[in-house]
Amino acid sequence: MPAAATENKANVPKKGIFNNTTGFSTLITVTVLSLAWLAGFASRLFAVIRFESIIHEFDPWFNYRSTAYMVQHGFYNFLNWFDERAWYPLGRIVGGTVYPGLMITSGTIHWILHTLNIPIHIRDICVFLAPVFSGLTAIATYLLTSELWSRGAGLFAACFIAIIPGYSSRSVAGSYDNEGIAIFALQFTYYLWLKSIKSGSIFWSICTALSYFYMVSAWGGYVFIINLIPLHVFVLLIMGRFSQRLFVSYSVFYIVGLLLSMQIPFVGFQPIRTSEHMAASGVFALLMAIGALKYLHSLNPKGQWKQLLILGGLIAAVTVFLAVVLLTYMGIIAPWSGRFYSLWDTGYAKIHIPIIASVSEHQPTTWSSFFFDLHVLVCTFPVGLWYCIKNVNDERVFVALYALSAVYFAGVMVRLMLTLTPVVCVLAGIAFSILLDLVLREDETPAPAQDSDDKNLYDKAGKLKKRTPEPVAETGLGMNVRSGTLIAFMILLMLFSVHCTWATSNAYSSPSIVLASYGNDGSRKILDDFREAYGWLSQNTAEDARVMSWWDYGYQIAGMGNRTTLVDNNTWNNSHIALVGKAMASNETAAYDIMTMLDVDYVLVIFGGAIGYSGDDINKFIWMVRIAEGEHPKDIHEADYFTERGEYRIDSEASKTMLNSLMYKLSYYRYDSGGSPPGFDRTRGALPGLRGFKLTYLEEAYTTEHWLVRIYRVKKPDEFNRPRLPLAKRTIQTSNVMSKKTSKRRKGALKNKPILVKGKKVTKLD
Amino acid sequence: MAKIQFFAFILLYVASNCISVNVDNISSDVRIKNVDRSIDISSQLVKTSSKITFENTGKVPVKQFLLAVEGAAKNNLAFIGARDSNNKDLRLVETTVKGYDNVKFWRVELKESVNAAASAVITSDAVFSKALLPHPTAITQQEDQLVKYNSNLYFYSPYKVLTQKTTVVLNTKSVESFTKVKPFSQQDGNINYGPYSNIEPFTEKELSLHYKNNSPFLTVTRLERLIEVSHWGNIAIEEIIEIEHSGAKLKGPFSRYDYQQDHHSGPASVRSYKTLLPASASDVYYRDTNGNISTSNMKVKKDSVELDLRPRYPLFGGWRSHYTLGYNVPSYEYLYHSGNEYLLKMRAVDHVFDDMQIDELVTKIILPEGSTSIKINFPFAVTRLPDSLHYTYLDTKGRPVITFKKSNVVENHIQDFQLRYTFPRILMLQEPLLVVGFLYALFLCVIVYVRLDFSIHKPEHLKE
Repeated sequence: MPAAATENKANVPKKGIFNNTTGFSTLITVTVLSLAWLAGFASRLFAVIRFESIIHEFDPWFNYRSTAYMVQHGFYNFLNWFDERAWYPLGRIVGGTVYPGLMITSGTIHWILHTLNIPIHIRDICVFLAPVFSGLTAIATYLLTSELWSRGAGLFAACFIAIIPGYSSRSVAGSYDNEGIAIFALQFTYYLWLKSIKSGSIFWSICTALSYFYMVSAWGGYVFIINLIPLHVFVLLIMGRFSQRLFVSYSVFYIVGLLLSMQIPFVGFQPIRTSEHMAASGVFALLMAIGALKYLHSLNPKGQWKQLLILGGLIAAVTVFLAVVLLTYMGIIAPWSGRFYSLWDTGYAKIHIPIIASVSEHQPTTWSSFFFDLHVLVCTFPVGLWYCIKNVNDERVFVALYALSAVYFAGVMVRLMLTLTPVVCVLAGIAFSILLDLVLREDETPAPAQDSDDKNLYDKAGKLKKRTPEPVAETGLGMNVRSGTLIAFMILLMLFSVHCTWATSNAYSSPSIVLASYGNDGSRKILDDFREAYGWLSQNTAEDARVMSWWDYGYQIAGMGNRTTLVDNNTWNNSHIALVGKAMASNETAAYDIMTMLDVDYVLVIFGGAIGYSGDDINKFIWMVRIAEGEHPKDIHEADYFTERGEYRIDSEASKTMLNSLMYKLSYYRYDSGGSPPGFDRTRGALPGLRGFKLTYLEEAYTTEHWLVRIYRVKKPDEFNRPRLPLAKRTIQTSNVMSKKTSKRRKGALKNKPILVKGKKVTKLD
Repeated sequence: MAKIQFFAFILLYVASNCISVNVDNISSDVRIKNVDRSIDISSQLVKTSSKITFENTGKVPVKQFLLAVEGAAKNNLAFIGARDSNNKDLRLVETTVKGYDNVKFWRVELKESVNAAASAVITSDAVFSKALLPHPTAITQQEDQLVKYNSNLYFYSPYKVLTQKTTVVLNTKSVESFTKVKPFSQQDGNINYGPYSNIEPFTEKELSLHYKNNSPFLTVTRLERLIEVSHWGNIAIEEIIEIEHSGAKLKGPFSRYDYQQDHHSGPASVRSYKTLLPASASDVYYRDTNGNISTSNMKVKKDSVELDLRPRYPLFGGWRSHYTLGYNVPSYEYLYHSGNEYLLKMRAVDHVFDDMQIDELVTKIILPEGSTSIKINFPFAVTRLPDSLHYTYLDTKGRPVITFKKSNVVENHIQDFQLRYTFPRILMLQEPLLVVGFLYALFLCVIVYVRLDFSIHKPEHLKE
């Protein structure tokens, strides 16, 4: 809203008492941007106000834990951190498998504040980092849009991105994740890139590379930049818009950016070894080739340079492409990773990588979520895009490519909605600015002074832009039409901001580790079962106790419970996860073998049946089965867990394998409370099929107040009564069944080992 | 080597000096006519209260009286005090008696000396912690907690006692076993022993009780109390508390079903407890490392603020919990000053729950920056730890921190300490001036940056 008013004033020069127009418009720009910052910050605080200043969800807990580690032990110890609390017994090299930008950012803020004797806890810095960065994103978007169009459009875009749900979904207070700072880095890098391509100065290119470096350190989405910028260059080359500015800015950016990005331990040699990064180097080679041809042409301007250029360019492109293919074939360059394939083929993950498909945010986007996340902007941004293409120049080619690719990716994965949001804000800002220009421009106003500047820089844009509004304004639009349109757009913008606040507040501001339920009288009841269970784990189990749970809860157990986990949200080892899935899917005896093999002390399951919480382990169970089946196809069959008619049920109709699985038993063990009838599962709306059973190998260690988290202790071999075996089976089968591993181990057997025969004396060694 | 020896000698000398400060003799003139003793073992603490009537059989007036605690119990003793017949507290000094190295003595300094053949009444109170031992040491969720108490059947005294009676308060009728020395009687959860007559000094006879005690057995293993004084009208108090259920350990599984269905389930467990804060306490927070603990209630009463604290999970035997409790109180209630001289009068430890026992108490007092000549008076013996500095908002040279430590603390230790310090009032201006100066410098920089041109060469469009 403020942008509309200010834009109005900013475009009316030399009126009123302010003679210094630049000063006045700077003041307004600063005011609007700081208001946008404030509004963006404030609208992200719903979770803090409603609940408390706390880290949300799953991944943020790991980020918080590693930030706290870095603050406590120092940066170098953090880079060398080997976390033996995760992925037992493998452990995890955290320093080398993490994007450290987030931790460094908040660690730096923490360090500065503490140097100034401002004792803010690192948790509060982590909680409020994303809202603060949303303001920076707004400023970066303003800069980017003013580079593309005008300052008015920039202010619109800044106000949009400050409150739009598509972005605030990932940056509410407490959602301490890479995306929170990465979107700022993304927008700022693009701004600097446009700046450098406009000016052709090495300074701006170096700045772009530095900003890109920050992005690389912050988020895996940097791959988007390193593919989009080369694409931009490539398209410009095809359009015949090669220039010295382009040559300088891309080659400087590419070389410096490449070297800088390789300094991040997690990225390492990937930029020269994987297919994801090959487009950038290919375009670099192409640009060099064309640059060389241009140079040759300048030596002999009379030659047949056009044919030479096209031919040479084609040859260079084909050579680069063949080289990449060959290197990939030889194995020097890694082929596309599975996650990348799933971007092109939406069905790929479901078949080949169930672990990716099992995450809800990796599902294809529905139409409604486009509207939900972007509201009116989803309808207006094509207008901005159309204007950009119509008045095309070097920068507007970039934003067009950005918009098209982001729309595609957002359609493939819900999660990538995040990359679409900024460009939608930019283009919608442009569209709204054009419209207001049209409606609010006074008839006799001379063309603004800035247009004459544009003439020098833009090739066609200035003329066209100047001409289109003026004749229409003079002839077509009457006063009523103008004010009608204005009011309609004001209402639209108002609805937009109402929707943004509502969506942020209702859909994206739940910490998900604290649940709230509302009674009939509107009173709120807090269900704090997760922290209850993690608090119990941290205080009442042995310091080195190992907790087995599904990978979703790994980070939380490590962060809040401070205990060793087997698998966590860093899903780098599929077979280990499959092993845990197999244990959950097997019957108790088979599971006990796996659990003793993995030294499990406690098993943690989430059970929502008592309060009707739908995100519990029984509902996720089918993914455990699928992932386990992928690695152990002999032991686990997905079909066994469905009824004969192919239904997934837990009541008396359920399949036997399902009822005997460890997950089922741990969820429903002694579950007889709940509503009426007792033992009724409110999530699935059914009465469990198997009840009143006993556990042999595990015992209930703790169950939270609302049954949401159940923790079981794995008994030691001397603690349980073994199931009765018939006499014939009471032999120890060692010699007959031999796995590969044991036969390998036999290599180290002792010579002359005394042979034990029952009832006879041991023959002694010589 | 010589240096070490030298220091060792000095240490020995100092140590021997310290020990030989108080040596008393047992006066043979004093004789105890009657002792009325009650031993309250219904909670986790053992609270004894003995009304002693003694007479002076000698010729000279008696000014002091000795209290003794037997060797077996002296390590559990948390507090001992004495009152006269008007309920006025009497001064107690720890002392020793030659030939009784294993016994702890206190010298009660009477307000008025007892003349020959006259008699006087004093009441001595003592609190023992960890004197009740769970037996069996581990119970299942459904079982009651049984504890054992071993003590002395007779009032332990360096003087001869003519008659004495003892009442043991159990508050339960389910007693597994108890010492039976006639005459005794059992009624309404009390067991009465005596009267016994003519007991010689230092007589010990075993008193043993084994009974049901489901009262909360909670031990605060460590309490760190932080008092931050601000001259802007506020005192912030924060207590970091580590707590443990020190009763019989939980054996076997914990069943939520049983715990939910049956309210008598887990009789020995602790679901919640009450903490009393000063009546003026505001902005109370109750959290742990994972954030706010949402299961608590606050009631503001006339003379206190009552917090009903529920740990995240019920505490069974052997389970632990920890949390931070903080609040603000206005400083005018606790901080007095005349000119530049200040006096802070606050509790060294505050109420955590009824019948609390604290293993280790560390209290830290953070004074405003620039406080000097700090003197502190403690109501009881404590270990003073080295002073340190604390840095917080707008500090330059750090705030002085006074730290002291005490182990085995009970409710009777909720007493005020007095801290005197000097603070030049002009220093109050330091912090606002810092802010003003910073903003001034910031704006100046902006003005200079905007007004002056720092570029090396002019941009092309300005050259024309």
